[in-house]
Parts: sequence; structure tokens; C-alpha cells
Amino acid sequence: MLKVENLSKEYPTPAGPLRIVSDVSLTLPSGSAVSIMGQSGSGKSTLLYMLGALEPPSSGTVTLKGQNPFLLNAKQLAAFRNREIGFVFQDHCLLPQCSVIENVLTPTMVANNNGEPTQRATELLKQVGLAERLNHRPAQLSGGEKQRVALARALIMKPQLLLCDEPTGNLDERSARVVADLLLDIHDGAETILVVVTHSKELAARFPQRFELRSQRLEQL
Amino acid sequence: MQTRQLIKRSLTHYWHTNLVVVLGVAIAVSVLAGALLIGESVRGSLRDLSSRRLGKTDDLISSPHFFREQLAADLANGVGATCPLIALEGVVVHEPSKRRAGGVKVYGVDERFWKFNGVANVAAPENRNVLVSQSLATELGSAPGESLLLRIEKPSDIPVESLHGRKEDSGKTIRLSVAGTLGSENLGEFSLQPEHGSVHAVFVSLRFLQNELEQDDKVNTILMARSAQTQPDQQEKSLATLLKSKATLQDLGLTLTAINHEPFMSLQSDSKIINEYVITATNEAAKTFSFQMVPIYSYLANSISSGERSTPYSLVTGLDDQSLAELAKPATQSETHPPIILNDWIARDLNAKPGDTVSLEYYLWHENGRLETKRADFQVTAVVPIAGLAADRGLVPSYPGITESEDMSSWDPPFPVDLSRVRKQDEDYWHQYGTTPKAFIPLSTAQDLWQTRFGKLTSIRIESPVNQPFSQTAFNFQESLRKSLDPALMGFQIVPVRDQGQSASRGATDFGEYFLYFSFFLVVSALMLTTLFFKLGIEQRAREIGTLQAIGFSDSGIRRLFLVEGTLLAGVGSLLGIGGAIGYAALLMYGLRTWWVNAVGTTALTLHISWVWLVVGAVSGVVAAVLCILFTLRRLGRSSTRSLLMGSEEILSRGGTTAQRKSFRGALAPFRGMFSGVVFTVIGLALVTMGALQLIPRVAAFFGGGVILLVAGVCYLSTWLKRSKKPVIQGAGWWTIARLGFRNATYRPGRTVLCITLIAAAAFIIVAVDAFRRSGASAADRKSGTGGFPLIAESLLPVVHDANTPEGREALNLNTDEATLKNLHFVNLRLRPGDDTSCLNLYQPRNPKIIAPPRTFIDDNRFTFQSSLANTPEEQNNPWLLLDRQLENGAVPVIGDANSLTYVLHLKVGDELVIDHPNGPLRLRVVAALSDSIFQSELLMSEKNFLRLFPAEEGYRMFLIDPANTQEASAVSTVLEDRLSDFGFDVTSTDERLANFHRVENTYLSTFQMLGGLGLALGTLGMAAVLLRNVFERRRELALLRAVGYNSSHFAAMVITENVLMLCCGLAVGFVCAMLAIAPVLFERGGRLPNLSLGILLLAVLLSGAIASLVATLAALRSPLLPALRAE
Repeated sequence: MLKVENLSKEYPTPAGPLRIVSDVSLTLPSGSAVSIMGQSGSGKSTLLYMLGALEPPSSGTVTLKGQNPFLLNAKQLAAFRNREIGFVFQDHCLLPQCSVIENVLTPTMVANNNGEPTQRATELLKQVGLAERLNHRPAQLSGGEKQRVALARALIMKPQLLLCDEPTGNLDERSARVVADLLLDIHDGAETILVVVTHSKELAARFPQRFELRSQRLEQL
Repeated sequence: MQTRQLIKRSLTHYWHTNLVVVLGVAIAVSVLAGALLIGESVRGSLRDLSSRRLGKTDDLISSPHFFREQLAADLANGVGATCPLIALEGVVVHEPSKRRAGGVKVYGVDERFWKFNGVANVAAPENRNVLVSQSLATELGSAPGESLLLRIEKPSDIPVESLHGRKEDSGKTIRLSVAGTLGSENLGEFSLQPEHGSVHAVFVSLRFLQNELEQDDKVNTILMARSAQTQPDQQEKSLATLLKSKATLQDLGLTLTAINHEPFMSLQSDSKIINEYVITATNEAAKTFSFQMVPIYSYLANSISSGERSTPYSLVTGLDDQSLAELAKPATQSETHPPIILNDWIARDLNAKPGDTVSLEYYLWHENGRLETKRADFQVTAVVPIAGLAADRGLVPSYPGITESEDMSSWDPPFPVDLSRVRKQDEDYWHQYGTTPKAFIPLSTAQDLWQTRFGKLTSIRIESPVNQPFSQTAFNFQESLRKSLDPALMGFQIVPVRDQGQSASRGATDFGEYFLYFSFFLVVSALMLTTLFFKLGIEQRAREIGTLQAIGFSDSGIRRLFLVEGTLLAGVGSLLGIGGAIGYAALLMYGLRTWWVNAVGTTALTLHISWVWLVVGAVSGVVAAVLCILFTLRRLGRSSTRSLLMGSEEILSRGGTTAQRKSFRGALAPFRGMFSGVVFTVIGLALVTMGALQLIPRVAAFFGGGVILLVAGVCYLSTWLKRSKKPVIQGAGWWTIARLGFRNATYRPGRTVLCITLIAAAAFIIVAVDAFRRSGASAADRKSGTGGFPLIAESLLPVVHDANTPEGREALNLNTDEATLKNLHFVNLRLRPGDDTSCLNLYQPRNPKIIAPPRTFIDDNRFTFQSSLANTPEEQNNPWLLLDRQLENGAVPVIGDANSLTYVLHLKVGDELVIDHPNGPLRLRVVAALSDSIFQSELLMSEKNFLRLFPAEEGYRMFLIDPANTQEASAVSTVLEDRLSDFGFDVTSTDERLANFHRVENTYLSTFQMLGGLGLALGTLGMAAVLLRNVFERRRELALLRAVGYNSSHFAAMVITENVLMLCCGLAVGFVCAMLAIAPVLFERGGRLPNLSLGILLLAVLLSGAIASLVATLAALRSPLLPALRAE
């Protein structure tokens, strides 16, 4: 379960603190899939990074499976993220020097218990339709394909929380649809909590729970 | 996938950036290991040179006096191969051209020399034929068949500085005919002393030279080659034992003769004087055999007078009291004068009787080169018949020119005699009694009157008890005496020349160390470049780092990844660098043989590759590079993952996280640079002020102050570049575009500061180093490095006359009527030959050359001292007085030149240098250091100590000459060289001598500047890289600018402005601080600014920077800007 209580974020500016997210509370049980919408600069990515323990909140708490990641030290936090959280970014953020399967396997390199990572990576890539492209380099893939690799990488550690930041933002309509389908198909029936930040109404509409960040506050639609 | 694979992938994927990192490390390793190779190469070259020039010689036995040639054969059975030869030094004149070469090694050799050295294809010279070394033949321009005149010192056992020593005719000129030249492969450069310059040598027939020198079957040197089983460390000891067992009394310069078939023997020395050591040994031996020893001191009196009567040229003998008592019972006791016993012949001639006073007139030779006639009165105590001891001619040693003469009228002694005073009765006495003394005085009186530093007796009479069979005991005594005498204390030297050569080849100057210093800036530049590119590489991979963080890599894990990558790159770089090091070292060795030959004075240096030094250099390079990488990585992880994921490249900036920025320290961050700048400014100015007030050494204060102010300058620039409030750029035109260029320099202030620092440091070093170039001193200034002496001379043969006295001038043929020679003032210095202690000698000096100035020179208080042990007002006023100090533990005070002490002997004031001496190790303590003087090749000692320690070194061989008119120095030099050519007189201007030393230093500085310039070029390259990188990173901005109407000229103006800003800031900070640092030096040399070449060098830097800008601009224009714009 992901539990968010009174989460706020503000940045210091010469004109005084600039509040981005204000007093957000949210509880998502395992298997939930939600979308968060908002205008550019509304703070939805900031909220996502706070949920993913990539950015500390100014106030409030985030707990995943009863654990507040911000109470962990840097090493424990890195391990927690590796184990419990998966990320898909608008810009795929693949390592250009690594092949497709290597990119998917990247998180397993720092994991404590890898199991059979190569087999799982292959299965995941098969699931995202890239079974034939295992040894290709990111530069040899299309935008949609890169994003699908990123999705496979996000899922390799079977995370409790899968966070997607504009996963289709850089894709054409067709590729965006493919990625969205995959995202929802893979999530379907899984225990993972899926949180997608998007400004795409079309993508957001496909999620059972939808939120919008408006005036720094999160409102359920 | 494993981490290993990820690293492998990253290494290959980012090969462009990695290649530059690898190249940076490779350059650093090349320079570092290359510098170390230089040291090894110089050492190896010197080792090879010394070894090659020694031929097969391992050890050497030499003596200042000649000994039996047979001794070499006698020794051969015990040690291995030996070869006798005569080794001298001489001056050679090429007769057709009159070209002259001094310091020529003269070897008298026969076929044994070539056989000993395994040289088969050289025929030993015969008669007047001479083989000439290639370098000497080249210098003289001699060809086979042409005549050479060789001037050498004529060997004399009798000390020149004694009455019977020949002073005017101490040399010999021999005409020789060139038979051919000898290359180094045929031992043409044979040399028993390690020296790196070309060897001028002539090889003469041994027999011919022996004949010319009147030393038949005698030599002064034996070469020895060790047998394979001889241990080097035992060789010297076993040789000493062997020599002691084989050397005869004759070899040791002593003669023991029986007298008139009587049970007497007379021990005489070839030097006609017996020293304390031989007296003691003889006494011990005599005691063993119960022989009686009668010490004798005989002397020639010019006249013995009594009243109006006078007897010319009589020999007088000093005997001990017992012998005097045995000779005659005193008829009367002497009261007012010392006693004298006359033989009845002279008593009759003078009509003297006991109780009368007689006067002795005699010559006395003073050590300062004066012959004085002195007089002493005696009271006749007895008259004895010419019988027994009183009839013994053996009481007087044989004096050349006197004792062998048949008549007194044919005497030819080395002092003035008035033979017109010789009467018929004198001749009759001479015919009948020869050298039989006419008078006897107490030994103590004789010694008081005539004793010299060379000894206390002229002979020793040894008497056997009557009841012993004399012939057998005489032989036994002789053997006993021979065995008790140590050849080392009789002048023999056993020198392990090969070992010494190898040891000396370690060098006075560690070129490895020097080139490390010289190349330091180049290494730093390369490492800074490595750091810069490694940093750029990491910044380029910002998103990757963010992704790794997002997927669970810890900061330390990511740091480790990059560290492993960096280490691998450094490893590859170091491997490449090993190859580069060999190339770099080869290039610098070439430089040392050509461009910088003034610093080393030889072209015989070759590259010697040492894998040990290469590995040391490579490992050091890797360690330095890894430390730089660690330094770069220390800030990794301070940026937020989110900003990294968004492509922010400020991952290694000082900015830190938001939380850090919000902290107190974070709030202070923008002011840190300013604060540091102020602190450094205060420290720098404080140092400069203290230096100006002379509270601390001026040069160090200004130099230190300059460096610290440079750091302060960089801090201010850093603060200025990082300032948050910047004026709005508005308006139109080129100035606005230029301002945009300036603003671009603040895009990555860290990079800009790095470049500026590199350029400022390089400019500082180049300008500051230039100020330390030395120019000539004022020859007339008594406190300058010349001491106010325009000329300095050295002679091959010792000069014993004082050219400052009319008698001395006459003896030296320096006619004072000649205008050029009028009012010349000479300072005569004694000289003990030894190793050159100046920077002109690459080998490590073991036994330095020592000179001794006279008392007048010390009192004159010339030259300037850099430091001294002076602690009394008198010593502080005149540090030369320190030479008279009595030091504890028998150490002897010496003064040296500060440069030689520091860079060649590696000593400072107060340190001691231990040198070999026949009586055991001799400790020389440095009591003062001269500042940049003409005495860089030698150490100075008081004359008193010199004569005590080196009594065998005779006369004066170095001269400081002060002509009344300094304008005539050149003419004086020519005349003196001509008049004193028999002495091998070589006059040099002190300016030239000093300039020779300066040339070495200045060449080192040029080397330093050139390598500093290379470092600067590397810095400029780094700057170009930064510009390119900045352009690449801002391609979206540039695309946008292009889209809105900027053209190529605008871009060029922007980039050039940015570049010029960096260059000018760097050069200005470096130049201004360097000028401050060298202010005292500039002040001393009259405010002359660094030379034109320096200006050209700095201008070249500016131009190369401008070219770098243009390259960056072209890159900017060629980059695909529109796709970048689309991405935006």
C-alpha cells in the first residue's frame, strides 16, 4: 500500500518560497492504477518524484509497504528504490552504450537477490514486443520501442510501485497507444501500484482512478 | 548483465571523450616517466663514457714521483694484468698553425698498453712519433707528418719550493711528429678521470718519453685489470698489501747506501729532504736492530766569515747533540751565539779558533716566492780534523748542479752563485774533500734556520754496533724499513678508477629530478586536462547517472563505476604513456645534445631505457590521474536525481542540493571566493611588505607573495564569473555581442576558472623564470662575482715566483718597462688539482679541486657572500676570516660558491664534506657561501691549512690579475700568455668564466621555459576543448540564435570574445603577479623587463588561443543546429 499524507513541496526563490505541491494526501492499495493530470508546471512531476523517493518533500510523509523511504540513509534509500519502485520517464533514459537487454538488466546489477534476471528480462522484452531486438542498441530503436524497453526495465525488479512520468509524452500517437496498452496490460492482474503522470486526457481516461493537480492540490476526478 | 559489462560498454561507447582522457594520462605519464628516463639516460651515458674511456683498466696505481717500470710486472702476479705507463698533463702547440691546446693528457705508452686494452690494430708510436686523439687533432687541425710541440712538467724529486728546487726550468718542450689520429674505439679518448667533455690526448713512445724526462725504466702510473675472481671490495685492500710487499725503497724515493765499507749506512731521499714519517719509521727499524740513528741536516752557506776573512760556499751540517759531542769535546762553551764546530781546514782559512764568532750567510727560499739572504752568528766551540764523521761526504745529499761537479767553478745550482768568489784553495778543498762539511752545528739550530714544510732532515746516518756482521744486518734493516713504510703515505695512490667512475656517474646533477621540475607544469597541465575531460565526460552522462540513481544505484556505487572506468582509462593511458615516455626522453636527450648542449657540455649523451623508471613513471601517472578523478568524483551525487534526469549537467558543480544551498554554508558559498581572495591578498601583500622591509629574505618573500597573489587573483575572477547578479545585456551591435561572449564565459564558471588558472600559472612561471637569467657581473666591482679582477689565469706548471715583486717579474720575464705589464697586480693562489665542483662537471665530484688564497686576499675582503657562519663583527664584516677558524674535531674550514654547494655538492653552510687524504679521511666544513662568483669550480681554503694538508702541492697555479687599466685586460692577457707560455699559462677574462657558468644556468632556465611553454600550449588546448564543449552543450541556444537571425560573424565574435576574456584574464593575472614576484631581481638589474622572446612567447599564446576560438566557431557553425532546435 502507498500512503501519502499532507505532502507539500516548496522551492526557495529570491522572492520567497515557491510552493509547488500543497498538502496532498492519498492512499493507494496494491494493484491500483491511477493517472495524475495537470497543466505544465502544475507540480505533477514533482509529486511523482516525491512518491518515488527521488526528491524529498518539504513536509508530509510517504510510506510504501509501511516504510517511509525518506527516513532511510542514502544507501538504504537506493536499495529501497531498486527493490520497490520502478520508473518510466518521458525521455526513456536508456544507457546508449548498452544493448536493449542490458538496459533492462541494469537494475539487477545492484540488487541483492537477482533470481533469474536474464530470463525475466527476455520475457519482459517479449511481452513488450521486442523479443527480436534484445541485442540492439537504443540508437537503433524508435521512440516507442525505447519507451517499451524503459517499461521492461522498470518492471524487471517486480516493483511495488511503478511510476511513469509522461510515458507517452515524446511519442507519436500510434507509439503512444502501443505503450499505453502495454502499460495497462502488464499491470492488469499484477500487485503493482501504477501511477502515471500525464497531460494526455486520452491516456488518463484509461485508468480506473484519475486525479488532477490543480492549484498545488490533488483532486480526484 | 554484470557491472563489468556496463563498464566495458561505457568505455567503448564514450570513446571520444575517453580517448582524450587516455591521451591526457598518456601525456602526463610520458612526461613523468620521460623525465625519469632522462636522469637514467644521463647516468647511463656517463657510466658508459667513463667505462669506455678506461679501456680495461679497473684500478690504478700512481705516484707523484717516478718508480721502477718493473714494479708493474712484480704486481701482475698477484692481481691480474698490469700495464706501466707515464701519465702527465701538458700543453700542445700545433707548429704550423701555432694553435694551442691546454689540459692535454700525455701518455707514454708502448705495445703493452694496446695489448692490455685488447686493441689489436694500433701500432705503438716510436721515437718522436705521436698518436693524437681525434678531438685534439680536430681542435689543432693537425695532420699526419706535422710537428707538435709538447710542453710538460719536468719531473723533479726536489721540491720546487725549496732552495735546491729548479724554478725557472721546471718544464720541458718536446718536438713530436703526428703519426696518426686515434678514434675513441681505439682508446683515443683514454682517460683515468671521469669527465664528460671531449678528451685531448697524445700517445707518445714510453721509451722516448722516459729518455726525454731522464727517467729511464721508470714510470709514474700502473694500470691494473682485475682477474675475474677478484672481489671489487677487496681489491683496493689486497692491492695495498701487494704494493707494500713489492715496492722497494727506490720505488718509495729513498736510497740506503753503505759508506766507505764502514758499518755505516746513509738514508737519503730523492727529494733531498726526509719527512717526519720516514724519520719515525727509520727510528723504529733502527731500534729493532739496535742500530744508532744519527739525524742530519746539511745546508749550503754562501759564506762563512770571521772578522775580515770569508770562505765562500761551504757545506754546514747539523748534528744531534750526541754526535756533536762525539765529534769534538767543546773547548769552550758558547754563550751569546749557538755553537759551531769547524774543521781544521776552514778554521785555518778563517783563522778562527774556539771562542771566536763566525757568521754564516745563506739563502732562504720563502714560500711566497722570495729568495732572501740571511745571516746567523755562531760561536766556535771546537776545531776538528777532517777525519771520522767529520770526513764523511755522505752527510750531504747529492744536489743536482753541485755535488756531481768536478770543480766548484762548474757549479750550476738553481739559485744565484757568485763563482768569482771561488778561490784556488776552495777548488783544492773541493777536489780533495768534495762535499765534506766544513762546519757542524746543533741539529735543532739547523732545523730552526733551514727546515721547510717538506721535511726535517736531509739524511739519516745509521750506525751498526761494531760486533755485528754488517752486511747481513744491513740487508735485514733495509727490508725491515721497507716493510714498515706504507706506500700510501709515501705518495702512492691506489685508485679504483672503474668503481669511482661508476659511482661518479650518478652525477652531480640529477637530470631526472631537474626534468621532473622542468616538466612539472607540463604534467600538471596534462593532469588538469585529464580532469577536465573526465569531468566533461561525466557531465555528458548526467541522464545516465540520474537513471542509475533512479533504478537503485547508490551514489557510492555510481562513483565506484566511474572510478573503475577512470582507473582503466588511466591504465590504458599509462601504457600509451610508456611509449610516449621513450619518445619524450629521446626528444629531450636530442635537445640536450643540440639545443641545450650548453647545459651539459657534451654530445655523448644517449637514451638509456630503464623499465624500472618507466614503471615508476607509469604508476605515478596512474596514481596522479586516479587522484584527480577521485577529486572530480567527490561532488558526484550532490545534484538531485530529477535534475539529472532532466539533463542538467551541473552534476559536479559546487552548487549542491537544495538542502545544502539552504544551509548556512550554502548561503556563504557565493562569498567564499571573495573571502578567499581577500585572505590570500592580505597574506600576499604581507609577504611582499616583509620582503621589502627585509624582515625575511627578499627574493623568497616576493616570489611567495607573487604566487599567493596569483591565487587571490584567480579567486576574484572565480567570484566575478560566478556572481548571480549580472547586468542585463541589451542594445545592439558588436559590443552587445561581445558582452554575450563574456556572459558565455560564465556558463560553466568552473571550467573557465580552470582554464584561466592554467594560463595564469603558465604565464607566471614563464615570466618569473626569465627574471632569473643571469647576465655578466661588473668586472671592476670588488663586491661582484669577479671580485673586481678582470682576469683569471691557471698554469700547467707551478709558478713559485711572486710577479708582484721586481725579482719575481725578472725571474718570470715580465719586464715592467713594457706599458702593458705596468701596474699589474697578481693574487697568487695555490691549487690542489681535483674534480670540478661547478655545474660544468656532470660527474659527481669526489675530491674537489681546492685553492688557497694568500693572506692579502683575505684581508682585501672582496666578493659578496650569500651566507656564512660568521658570528663576530669582524667575521660578519669580512667572512673570509672564517677560513682561519679553528674547528673542533679537526675539520678544516672551506668556502665555496653557493651555486656549486647547492646544486653540485649538495651542501649548505655548516655541512661537512669528507675527502680522501693520505693521512685518513679529511673533513672539510663549509663556513661560507659566495654569491654567484668565479669560484664555482673549486673550494677555497686558507693557505696555512693548505700547506699543512697538501705539502706536496707546490707553487701557485691560479692567479687573479688586476690590471691598472681594465680596458687593457685583453692586451694584458695576450702578453701574459706569451711570456709565461713555458708555464702553460692560460688567461681568461673573469666575465667569460662567469658567463660560462651562467650559460649553464640560463640554458636550464630556457629548458624550463620551453617545457613550461609546452604546458601552456596544453593549457590552450584545454581551453579550446572547453570552448568546443561549451559550444556543443549550447547548440540548442546557438540554433535558436541562428533561427532568430545571428550569422557566422556574430558567432565568431561571441566565441572569440569568450576566449580572449579567458586568455587575457589568465595572462594578465599571471604576468602582473610574476612581475611582483621578480621585483627584487628586476630592481637589482636596473629594472629591465623580461626580454623580447618572452613577449613573443606570450603573444604566441594569445594567437594560438585566438586560433582555438576560430576552430570552436567553425565547430559551432558546422554542428547540426536545426535538429537541436527541433529537439527543443
